[in-house]
Amino acid sequence: MTADVQTLASESGCHLFSGCGFPSPGLNVFEFKPIFSIGAFDFTKPMLLALISMLLVIGFFWSAFAKPKMVPRGAQNVGELGYLFVRDNISRETIGKKGDPYVPFLFSIFFFVWVMNVMAIIPFAQFPATSRIAFPASIVGIVWVTYLVLGIKNQGFVGYFKNMMFPPGLPKAIYFLLAPIELLQGLITRPFTMAVRLFANMFAGHMLIVTFSVGAWYLLGFHIGALYSATSFIVVVVLTAFELMIQALQAYIITLLAASYISTSLEAEH
Amino acid sequence: MDGAAWSSVGYLLSGMLIYGGIGWLIDRWTGHSALFLPIGLVVGIALALVLVFVRHGRSS
Amino acid sequence: MMNLAADGVSGSLGSIGYGLAAIGPGIGIGIIFGNGVQAMARQPEAAGLVRQNMLLGFALAEALALIGVVMPFVYGT
Repeated sequence: MTADVQTLASESGCHLFSGCGFPSPGLNVFEFKPIFSIGAFDFTKPMLLALISMLLVIGFFWSAFAKPKMVPRGAQNVGELGYLFVRDNISRETIGKKGDPYVPFLFSIFFFVWVMNVMAIIPFAQFPATSRIAFPASIVGIVWVTYLVLGIKNQGFVGYFKNMMFPPGLPKAIYFLLAPIELLQGLITRPFTMAVRLFANMFAGHMLIVTFSVGAWYLLGFHIGALYSATSFIVVVVLTAFELMIQALQAYIITLLAASYISTSLEAEH
Repeated sequence: MDGAAWSSVGYLLSGMLIYGGIGWLIDRWTGHSALFLPIGLVVGIALALVLVFVRHGRSS
Repeated sequence: MMNLAADGVSGSLGSIGYGLAAIGPGIGIGIIFGNGVQAMARQPEAAGLVRQNMLLGFALAEALALIGVVMPFVYGT
């Protein structure tokens, strides 16, 4: 099915009835030979896909919004649909009217992550760049800096950490036990879980598709093997449709989380 | 409020990290293997659940 | 555990254990959110109350899954 899978399975020329073991795909599916290298810097396929995704997002929305018309036509229609979705369903739902200045930020995150995810099922690309942890981690790093700076700007340095560490309405003695948990949650675990959620979903999805694709190749044979192989291939098709849903959902969730962190920075949690 | 479900996972993880870490350090110090670490983990989970209740569980 | 490994089961036993441990919380969280959404659909005016209690149940079930994550580290070799 996928290009890297074909090399993985066909290089060994391995089928069920030729009596060799299942070439189970592992972490090697996520390692690529560098396309070119400058010194110690290797330019690999995930980087290329991320660059292509960036160019796609910028190009599409540039063409949609470069010459806006009062009555939108063509690309501008689609662009406005996407913008309104992010503004009404994500920003206004979680932050409210005050969140409107941050809609462009959320909008960029949503479409960049979504296009990178969709690369998983586009023929010849067939690799979600977000299944390498560096990409979600750097996106989440930007969100982290944003909500810290916004929080300190809006509530003051002391006030921000006081709101974060001391939820109101508890006996004084228990703050001693709870404040470290709050601090760790606000500064480290919160962005960490956010990055890992996107990464793990895309990693597992790609792994599932690859496993069943390799299975379809491995089970191929003249006898009953054709039936096994067809079953495995049907599972690949079903999983691809399922992945299409998961990709949009994960992009939505990471944007929703970014919006909700920004909203907790704008005002103290109740 | 939509991020509440996700942030409760963060609370549980941080509670386990801090109090499990303290338990692990006590284990190292006293030479036990896996005695205070599980205790610390359970304490951390309990405190994190208190925190989740305080943050999200109160009727507003 | 040791016999299994001696009989030729190789790989990470901890990850198999976590796979088994994730079944229970998975079912539990599914039930919690399924019934929560149903309750919200039946009584939209009680949505806030339902959501709060749903979150508490979710946190309790999720704690089990997280205990499953760390157990191989605690009782591993």
